[in-house]
Amino acid sequence: MKHALAFLFLTFLAASTLAAQEIVAGLSSDQAAVGEPVQLVVTVRGARGADVPQTLSVNGLRINLAGRSTQFEMRNFKMSSTLSYTYIIVPQFEGNFTIPSFDVTIEGKTYRTQAMHLSVSGAAQVPQMPTLPQSMPTLPGGPPPSATSDNGRPYFAELVLSKKSAYVGEIVPVELRFYFNSRIGGQVGERPNFGGEGFTVQKFSNAVKREQVVNEANYVVFTFQSAITPVKAGTLEIPAASLEARLQVPGNAPQGLGDFFNNFPLAQGMFTETREITLQTKPQQIEVVALPKENKPEDFSGAVGKFTMDTSVSPKKAAAGEPVTLSVTVSGQGNFEGMGAPSLIGDEGWRTYPPSDKFQAADAIGFTGEKKFEYPIIARQDQTKTPGVRFSYFDPSTGKYVTLTTDPLPVDARAGNAAPAATAPAAAPGAGTPAAPGPATKPTPDIAVMANGSSHWSSLFFRKEFLIGNASLFVAWLAIVLVFSLRRFSASNTGRMLARKKQASDALSVLRVADPSAFYDRVHDYLTLRLNAPVEPGSLAAKIDSSTLPAELKSSLHKMLERHDESKFAAGGITQPSAEERESVVATLKQFHAFHEK
Amino acid sequence: MKNSLLFYSLFATGLLLSQPAPADVLADARARYAEGEYQQAAKLFEQAIETAPPQAAVFFEFGRCLRQAGQDGRAALNFQRSLVLDPRFAPAAVALAETNTDLGIPKPAATWRDRVLEHVPMDTLTLTGAVLFWVGAFMITLLFLLRAARRKGLYALGMICLAAGIAVLALAWLCDPRITDRNTAMVLTNSGASVLNSPAEQSEKIASLREGTQVQILSQRGRWFYGQVPGGARGWFLTEGIVPIIPPV
Repeated sequence: MKHALAFLFLTFLAASTLAAQEIVAGLSSDQAAVGEPVQLVVTVRGARGADVPQTLSVNGLRINLAGRSTQFEMRNFKMSSTLSYTYIIVPQFEGNFTIPSFDVTIEGKTYRTQAMHLSVSGAAQVPQMPTLPQSMPTLPGGPPPSATSDNGRPYFAELVLSKKSAYVGEIVPVELRFYFNSRIGGQVGERPNFGGEGFTVQKFSNAVKREQVVNEANYVVFTFQSAITPVKAGTLEIPAASLEARLQVPGNAPQGLGDFFNNFPLAQGMFTETREITLQTKPQQIEVVALPKENKPEDFSGAVGKFTMDTSVSPKKAAAGEPVTLSVTVSGQGNFEGMGAPSLIGDEGWRTYPPSDKFQAADAIGFTGEKKFEYPIIARQDQTKTPGVRFSYFDPSTGKYVTLTTDPLPVDARAGNAAPAATAPAAAPGAGTPAAPGPATKPTPDIAVMANGSSHWSSLFFRKEFLIGNASLFVAWLAIVLVFSLRRFSASNTGRMLARKKQASDALSVLRVADPSAFYDRVHDYLTLRLNAPVEPGSLAAKIDSSTLPAELKSSLHKMLERHDESKFAAGGITQPSAEERESVVATLKQFHAFHEK
Repeated sequence: MKNSLLFYSLFATGLLLSQPAPADVLADARARYAEGEYQQAAKLFEQAIETAPPQAAVFFEFGRCLRQAGQDGRAALNFQRSLVLDPRFAPAAVALAETNTDLGIPKPAATWRDRVLEHVPMDTLTLTGAVLFWVGAFMITLLFLLRAARRKGLYALGMICLAAGIAVLALAWLCDPRITDRNTAMVLTNSGASVLNSPAEQSEKIASLREGTQVQILSQRGRWFYGQVPGGARGWFLTEGIVPIIPPV
């Protein structure tokens, strides 16, 4: 037990250590134009400091360390810290670049980042929106707020939009930052108030608390991340976001005592007052452009962002009428909530149903992640390949529609004898796949081919046949155990002794009714059994002599043996024992029996 | 005496013959459905279900018919019953999802039980568990009784069979909807149902349940059920219009 506890503790320690020191490096975008800056952020978790290079040398890219920030987060009573080192990459000329892995030293241990790739084009690719950045908002390592406007204020707030122009339906990450001078204590509300017309707001992430120096003053910053999605074109007014707070701000001494306390510099911070405030950001504007109508794919279902697609099928073999699941995973960055299901192509030989979908977010605001669509499909004719899949989305970085297609996957699916009638299905919301072709309302009598379920409401556990079968097996098992146990017992010393006792007891009980001519033979048999004597001449007499029986009883037994020898060897035999003699012998043997039992 | 026996025998035979066989009723129901007579077809499906062993396909067809007749709540109940009998019956799953969408019932998150149900029929799983358990039990017992201590490999195989059998039986017990849904019921009143704080009509209302909502019945007091609603809240609701997923035998 102690070992197990120690092992668990060591495992926990090891896990904590592994979790404590982790580095992740990533680019804010893997595409950029010449001169357009891109951020490279190295995130170090669970360490107070790290040694990183000041510059990185890549021909064609200028990479310099821009700054470092620390972020603390408390979740489920567990405090974690994250250090972020931000490099600014400025591409010098176009081409595909690889930023090599580099060393990051944490408390004497050296870790290496992974290599990253950056594709640089000659010019900005979106003429309408030349400054449209593709990155998430600059997170804790981002630029400090304007020094002039907020200089010296005890608290202020700002709304950071990741871009100033966007397309309808495009996800625009936003960050709300609420700054409090570190000398101020107090409590802040759980969630900011934020919303307006013409856009929808995603759920806010948990507040992240960090420290930051602004104009040589220390501030505690509470950051909330979210994203907005414009729903109409034009200039969109983003109203102020607000957060309620109850603050303990430095106050004055009680009336009349101010002059007295002002004489003591150390008493200056003694008095505080509670102030309930509503902290507001400044309203902002964003230009929203409608999605172009030209070259819009027919199957475009509203996905805006940048995505990749992958497909798989399970099971790879399906019996007649058995459904297979075609899984389509769309991953990347964009409006996963407004995304419709991909379309199936070449599905004529299949009966298809609207897919289920499941979204797995990779960040706090659901901007990055993957959405998995699962299509139940059933072969109408024998099939060796699944349908192909097509998915169209609008890429705001290029301003063009992109269509992804995947090839059919190999599968061995047998056709059912009859296809089930579908329920004239209204496609599920967000499902881009049309309902199964074919008759929608005509019933198919052999639909039962599709269903292979039970014809009982009770589980097999409670059904008579199952219970009887198991009970029979239990009885068989018990019988085997009993038979083997009895055999083993009878072969043991105790078993043999008990068997002898029983035989002896039986022999004694038959003496009264034994044939008078064989009376002394039975007496001999009884004594032989009782004393476990070998079948040799004289051995029984020797056994009697060596026993601890009283002398009188021994003598009586010897007389019986003599009578037996006489009956056996005397010419003409002996006279048959009288009833009295037999009673006397039986009484003596009973006495012997009782003595022996003791 | 003989005459009266003959009379009763003939009467009983006549009575039996006058009742259509379940297969005929089902065929009739399907024919009515094909002709668009959904109300009539629904009655016949109901009759077929009452007189024959339950079949997932028939419940699915009944649900589809009710859906055409505009009775989405009852349709959802029958699709759910179809899935209880055959959790892998994809058309019923799709139809239930569509009906729930129309009823405004949110799609429940998929659980590990659903993933198990997708892949293995429950009766097969239970039988496999039982077979493995008994093979393991007999193997270990015989090896022990025959004192075959040297056959460590066989002992290990027996132990593995026994443990696997117990695990598979436990899995079947935890996943079989005929066990897990035995206390589940569905709200079938058009106006939904109110969940109250105590079993009195004037008590505080905790939540409203839409038609088609599934609830867990925990106990009953008179004409009140005490149960758990989706989301985990517990409260009291009237028994009227609350129909068990697994029909009482």
